[in-house]
Amino acid sequence: MDTPVLELIGVRKSFTMPGGEQVNILDIDAFQLAADEHCALEGRSGSGKSTLLNVISGIMRPDTGRVIIDGIDIAQLDEARRDRVRADKLGLVFQQFNLLPGFTALENVLVAMSFGSGRPDRDRAVRLLDAVGLGHRLDHKPSALSVGQQQRVAVARALANRPRAVLADEPTASIDPAHQQQVIDLLRNTCTEQGVALLVVTHAADVAGQFPRRVRLEDFNRAATGHRS
Amino acid sequence: MTLLGIAWRNIRQRLLTSLLTALSLALGVALVVATLVTGGIVKQAFESGSGLGYNMIVGAKGSPLQLVLNSVYLVSKPIENISWDFYQQFLPAAERPDGVDGTFAASTKTAVPICMGDYFRGFRVIGTNTSYFDRLTVGNGRPFVFSAGRNFRNDEFFGGVLGATVAAKLGLKPGDPFAPTHGADDGKVHDPFTVTGVLARTDTPVDRGVFVNMEGFYLQEGHAKPVEGEAGSGERADGSRDHGNQGPVPLPFTQREVTALLLDTASLPGLPPELTAMGLRTAINEGRDGQAALPIAEIRMLLDLFVRPLELLLLLVTTLVVIVSAIGILVSMVGSSLERSRDVAIMRALGARRSHVLVVVLIEAVLLAVGGGLAGWMLGHLLVGAIAPLITTNAGVSASIFSAAPGTEMLLVPFLVVLAILAALLPALAAYRTDVAKWLSS
Repeated sequence: MDTPVLELIGVRKSFTMPGGEQVNILDIDAFQLAADEHCALEGRSGSGKSTLLNVISGIMRPDTGRVIIDGIDIAQLDEARRDRVRADKLGLVFQQFNLLPGFTALENVLVAMSFGSGRPDRDRAVRLLDAVGLGHRLDHKPSALSVGQQQRVAVARALANRPRAVLADEPTASIDPAHQQQVIDLLRNTCTEQGVALLVVTHAADVAGQFPRRVRLEDFNRAATGHRS
Repeated sequence: MTLLGIAWRNIRQRLLTSLLTALSLALGVALVVATLVTGGIVKQAFESGSGLGYNMIVGAKGSPLQLVLNSVYLVSKPIENISWDFYQQFLPAAERPDGVDGTFAASTKTAVPICMGDYFRGFRVIGTNTSYFDRLTVGNGRPFVFSAGRNFRNDEFFGGVLGATVAAKLGLKPGDPFAPTHGADDGKVHDPFTVTGVLARTDTPVDRGVFVNMEGFYLQEGHAKPVEGEAGSGERADGSRDHGNQGPVPLPFTQREVTALLLDTASLPGLPPELTAMGLRTAINEGRDGQAALPIAEIRMLLDLFVRPLELLLLLVTTLVVIVSAIGILVSMVGSSLERSRDVAIMRALGARRSHVLVVVLIEAVLLAVGGGLAGWMLGHLLVGAIAPLITTNAGVSASIFSAAPGTEMLLVPFLVVLAILAALLPALAAYRTDVAKWLSS
C-alpha cells in the first residue's frame, strides 16, 4: 500500500448513556486508506459508521488512539486545529447533501473555501461546478436544483479546498436507483481526476461492489458486534 | 467568501425577518434622532435669546422668569407695566427732557423700551423705538440686518419692522399696511401701520416679532394710561404743544407706560461689568418701581429645573425604545436559531471554527444594527424636516432636515452596535455551542 492518507491506530470511542451505562462504539486496532485509493466501507445500521466518520473528520475526538490524516495525528489536536485539518485535508459529502439553502451553488462551494487555509478562489469554484456539469447553474439556490444537481454541488464543494480524501456518508441513500449510479460515477470520476482518495460509507451492497476495495466495518471494529451507534 | 459575505447571505436568506427587525430598529432610532434634534433646537431657541446685546431686563414686579419669557422669547403674558418716569431713570441727560442724568444712567449703556399687549395675526406686536435695531444685536455682537427695506425712523409714528418668520408666513413686504389688534387676535382692530423693513433671519425669537414705533403704539385706542385730573393735558412727548395739522401728536409722557426695558449695563469706573450689573439689579429690586431680571440666569434656571430633566427623561424613554428594538434583534435571532443551527452545523462540518460561526452571528447583528440605525437616522431627519415649518413658526429658530444634534447623534449608531452585539451574544453563543454531530445525523 502507498503512504496512507488516512490511518487509524488503536482508536476507541465510547459514549455514556443517560442511565450512566458506558457503551463502546468504536474499537479499531488499525485501518488505512492510501492516497488515490477508492474504498467502500459497508456496515449495517448501528455498526458505528457515522461515529467513525465523525472521528476521522475530527468532529469527534476518540477516547484513545491515533487518527492520522496526511501525516497529522488529529486526535492530539485541539478542536480549532482539527477544524483546520478538516477544512484543508478532507472533503465531506453527506447523505442529505446538506447544502446551505440561502446560498447559490457557487456560494456553497465558496463558503467551504473560506474556511480553508487558502483564499476563496472563484475561478476554481466555477471550474469545479463546471466539472460536475453545473456550469450553467452557478447562481441557482439549492431549492431551484434537482436532487441530482444538489448532490453534484455537494461533490464540487467537497473538493473545494483540494482535499487529500473525500468522505462520503451514504451518498446514494436519499436518491432514486436511477440516479444512484450517476452519483457513484460522479464521485469516483471526479476524485480520480483530482487525485483524491475516496472513502464511501454505504449499506448498499451493489454500491460497495463497484469499488476496488470493499471492507465491512464489523470486520475491524470490535465494538460493532452487539452494539449500536 | 468572507465571514461578512456569509453574514450578509444569512440576512438575505431570512429577508422578511431581517427587514422587520431592521425596521423596528429604524423606528426606534428615528424617534431618538427626532427627539434629540428637536430637543437641541428648543435649547438653541432658549440659548439664542440670551445673546441679543442686553444683559438685564427691567419690568414690573412679579415673576422674573415670566418677565424674561415675555420680553425675550415673546411668549407668556406681560406682568404689568412700569412707569415712564422709572424708564427715564435709566436715560442720560441728553435723552431726557429735563436735561438731568437719570438715577441709573451711569450704570446703563443702553436702555431699550418695549411695550406689549397687541397682536397681529398670531404674532406679538412690540412697540419700541429705533434703538432696538440700532443698538441691540442679533447675538455675538452681530448687528440686525434688513433683508428688505429699513428700520423705521422715530418720526414715522406708524412705521413697523417685521421679523423674518412673520414676513415669510404672512407674505408682507415693505410698503404693505398691517393693522394690529388689541389684547388678542380677536380684539379691537387698531389703526394700520406700514411695513418699513423686513429683518433677515436671526434664528431668535425676534423672527416672530412685529415691531412698531412706540409713538404710534401709544396712539392706539386703549394704550394711553388714564391720568386722574390731567386727562386731555396739552403736554406732549417732545415737550411741545399741539402741532396743529402737521401730523400725529405724540401721547403725553404722563399717559405713557412701558412693559419692560432691555438693558445693556455699563461698567462703573473701577468695577467689573458683572459687579455693576449685580449692583444695579440689587438697587432696582430693593426699590418699589420694578424688578430687574438677568435673562441668562433665569434661562439657566429654567433649563436646569425643567428643560434638562425633561430632555433627560425623553432621552431615557427613547433609549429604552432603542433597547427594546435591540431586543428585537435577539428575538429575531433566537427565533431563527433552529434554522441557523443546521446551517452552523454544516459550516462547522466544512471546517468552520466555533469562533467563525460566533463572529458570523455577531456580524449579522451588527449589519442589522447599522442598517436599521442608518435608516432610522435618515428617517429621524426626514421627520424633523417634515415638522420643521412648525418648529420655525413656534420656536422662532430655523429647523430643517439637516438640523442636527452632532454630539449625541454621532454616538447613536456606535451605541446601537454595542447593544446589538450584546443582544446577539446569546444566539452567537448558541451557534458557538452547536453540536455538529447531532445536527448532521438528524
